[in-house]
Amino acid sequence: MSVGRTKFGEHYEKEPEKLIEEAWLKASISAGIERKNLNAAYIADYFLQITNKIGIEEGFLSELTELHIPMEKTRSFNSALLNACNAIQAGKYDLVLVGGVEKMTDRWEKIRDDLMLLEDPWSYYAGCTPEANHELMLREYIRKYGIRGENLEKLNIALAQISVKNHQHATRNEYAQFQKEIELDRVLAERKKANKSLGLLDFAPISDGATALVLASPEVAKQHASQFVCIAGSASATDYITFPAREDRASFTASRIAMQNALKMVDIQPNDIQIAELYDQSTFLEMISLEDLGFSKKGEAWRDVYNSCIDYQGFYMINGRELFVNTNGGLKADGNPLGATGGAQIFETVKQLRGEAGKRQVKTEKQLRFGSILELEGFGTKAYVHILRRD
Amino acid sequence: MSSEPIERRVSYIGDRLKGSKCSLCGKEYFRIKDYCGTCGRKSFSKMKDIDFFYEKGMLEVCTTVRQPTNKFVKLGSYIYGIVSFHNGKVRVPGRLTDCILKDGDHVDVSNLEDREVVPRFRRRYTVEQSEVIPTISLTFTFADEYYPHQEYEIVKPRKEYETPGIVGYGVYVPRFRIKEPTMKRSVPFIDEDSITAAVEAGKLALIHSGIAQTLIGKVYVGSESNPYAVKPIASKVAQVLRLGEEDKTEGLQSVDAVDTEFACKAATSMFKDATALVYYPGAHIPYTMVIGTENSQAAPRNEIGGELDFFVGYGGSAFIFGKQDVITQIEGWYSCTSDTPDFWRRDLQPYPRHGGRFTGEPAYFKHVTKAAKKLMEKLGLQTRDIEYFISHQPNVSFPIKVAKAIGFKEDQYMPGLQVAKFGNTYSGASPIGLAAVLDQAEPNQRILLVSYGSGAGSDAYSLVTTSQIDEKRKRQKLNVQHQAENKYIEYVDYDTYRKLKLGL
Repeated sequence: MSVGRTKFGEHYEKEPEKLIEEAWLKASISAGIERKNLNAAYIADYFLQITNKIGIEEGFLSELTELHIPMEKTRSFNSALLNACNAIQAGKYDLVLVGGVEKMTDRWEKIRDDLMLLEDPWSYYAGCTPEANHELMLREYIRKYGIRGENLEKLNIALAQISVKNHQHATRNEYAQFQKEIELDRVLAERKKANKSLGLLDFAPISDGATALVLASPEVAKQHASQFVCIAGSASATDYITFPAREDRASFTASRIAMQNALKMVDIQPNDIQIAELYDQSTFLEMISLEDLGFSKKGEAWRDVYNSCIDYQGFYMINGRELFVNTNGGLKADGNPLGATGGAQIFETVKQLRGEAGKRQVKTEKQLRFGSILELEGFGTKAYVHILRRD
Repeated sequence: MSSEPIERRVSYIGDRLKGSKCSLCGKEYFRIKDYCGTCGRKSFSKMKDIDFFYEKGMLEVCTTVRQPTNKFVKLGSYIYGIVSFHNGKVRVPGRLTDCILKDGDHVDVSNLEDREVVPRFRRRYTVEQSEVIPTISLTFTFADEYYPHQEYEIVKPRKEYETPGIVGYGVYVPRFRIKEPTMKRSVPFIDEDSITAAVEAGKLALIHSGIAQTLIGKVYVGSESNPYAVKPIASKVAQVLRLGEEDKTEGLQSVDAVDTEFACKAATSMFKDATALVYYPGAHIPYTMVIGTENSQAAPRNEIGGELDFFVGYGGSAFIFGKQDVITQIEGWYSCTSDTPDFWRRDLQPYPRHGGRFTGEPAYFKHVTKAAKKLMEKLGLQTRDIEYFISHQPNVSFPIKVAKAIGFKEDQYMPGLQVAKFGNTYSGASPIGLAAVLDQAEPNQRILLVSYGSGAGSDAYSLVTTSQIDEKRKRQKLNVQHQAENKYIEYVDYDTYRKLKLGL
């Protein structure tokens, strides 16, 4: 029925409760509902236990809202949404609050170590970092498809272009953490400075923020609002937490399976989707997701990105079709407060489908109908795909 | 973040790289699994224990880590990647060790990929000084560089000797050195300490001996640089090398393990105990192992005790004693002791101090000379009956001076004088000299080994080589010469040395 969010970035002065309140207020006002209308709440966060010593998030939410309804905590926003969908489909609730919040900058010095909780401990013991697996997967990809010479150079440029493109998108997003453009040369310079395949500007930042939405059964939604967006497909899949132990290390199996199942629910093909929010924790992850979700051919996504960005028009041109990707700036520029990140992806897709995205509104020949969201937990350990439809 | 039970479990698996193999379908796993994911419940009790400790892996993909997480910061930049074993049946995460990467160094990772690697037992990361030291073997070095891959092949013994002696040995020094006016000194990589060197040396001794590790009944580890004030190194050696019969359900090794300390003679002192134990019929112990290991301590040069900082080395040596397939029999020994305070370290003090000129005449020379002469007298030997003479070697001049004083000539004492190549490895020093001699001795030659430990005392041993010394030599590629004259040796400056020496 409605979506709400805070700006992403550093919120020194705000406690996590304040952030979620802000997001919730925006969503509830826009939906025209009140706290007492809610049947249940699902709240997502990864690290509040560690960053803010909040052990039972539901209790904080109960105190904040002065409600005693059922509440459950998940890690990712899309996981909260999927659980809320299941409950509504099961007929248990009619009106549910789904929220996500994260306060990563409160533990600036230790948050990279905390992020390793999302990997297997053995990788951590061997010296893995939050960035290392992205680079290993990129190596696997390059080796699997035998990309070398000029093509390898193009792939590297394509990855940098993803960062440039996402920053460009974020200049039109008032909620984004980085609302400024960056030059391709800067992305490359950061890699060179670090002597690495992926540099500072290839990775999403550390962020604070909150997002919320109000989810209703079709009947209740019709009572309250004239315009709403349907969750047509909702699926998830899992994979081994140990990245080296996975059979396929050049793509995410979980993303592929989740997308297939979500598409089946909606009975559409990938090319029916016009707008996609992909989980670009790194530029490489946006690229690989184009393949995992079936938009680009295996081993070809870098070409699609490279060719689309020579004279970028606001979308990727894949197999002769326009695909708008991360119009909010993606995790790279919009920000990545883990538990809230998925909410920003949904926020963007809902706004675009409703034609409410303002300066960011995409222009398509055919009216926007389907948007898809991919959110990952860990390094492809869990994948959530939601397909939204405007009716 | 970690706890003692977690540390125990992680070490139990990770130090040895233990895994499982399904005997129905052949699928392999890193870590112990009770059933196979493919075969399901029919594979219960059909899973075989395997480990990758002596295996050769392949670095498949890798990347440089320039910004490690907090506990890895002291490592600086390093290479992290995926290592496969058994043609990709198992893949594990891994860090390349023994590699100093500077910030500006460009690394083309494609030059590192598809190369064979060997697991190395190392410290895992930095923890508080008061915490349990975490270790792991998900650390690797290239098999075509300093440390070659060597199979551990168990060979059926073919001859039993009347007099027990050494059946195998191994010496481990790392590939880093610092150059001093009179010597080159071995420098540990930052993730090494006396525990890791003890395990490395023991592993090499097992490879050389060809005996089953289950037959070792007791292991002694001599050191004065145990990073723990209380907690043995020997227990780690027993567990990682799986010495003695193993009770897998309880994770226990049927082996006696003990640390010994007597400055630089902590290991050699136990040679006779190890020999006597295999000789005593009631013990039913076919083999014993003695390790001398040291990350030799010295205060920085500008502090009291800093004189030692021109001499100290890092390394370990391990000797296996038994009665079967002996390469050198021990025909006799003599030990002497006096309470001479020439070198000491008080509890809670970081570095030892020593008595300057007092360490010479009344300490080193008196004890070494006495022990050597007494043993020769006891066995009725003249210097001409002895092919090789090895004494404790804190520097280059002392052992030469003492050898000459007893009456030995250069060709007798030079082969065992190794201190100029590695520095003073304290408990490991005279044993490394012995190993260097064993690397080149012919059958039926007599060796006189005299150790010295401050505090003070000396042990003298007379050893006679057997015909089996030649054939066993082929099993050890990582001999003393290989480690002394290797093109992969890397020299570091003083500041780097101090940082590496201090460890994680």
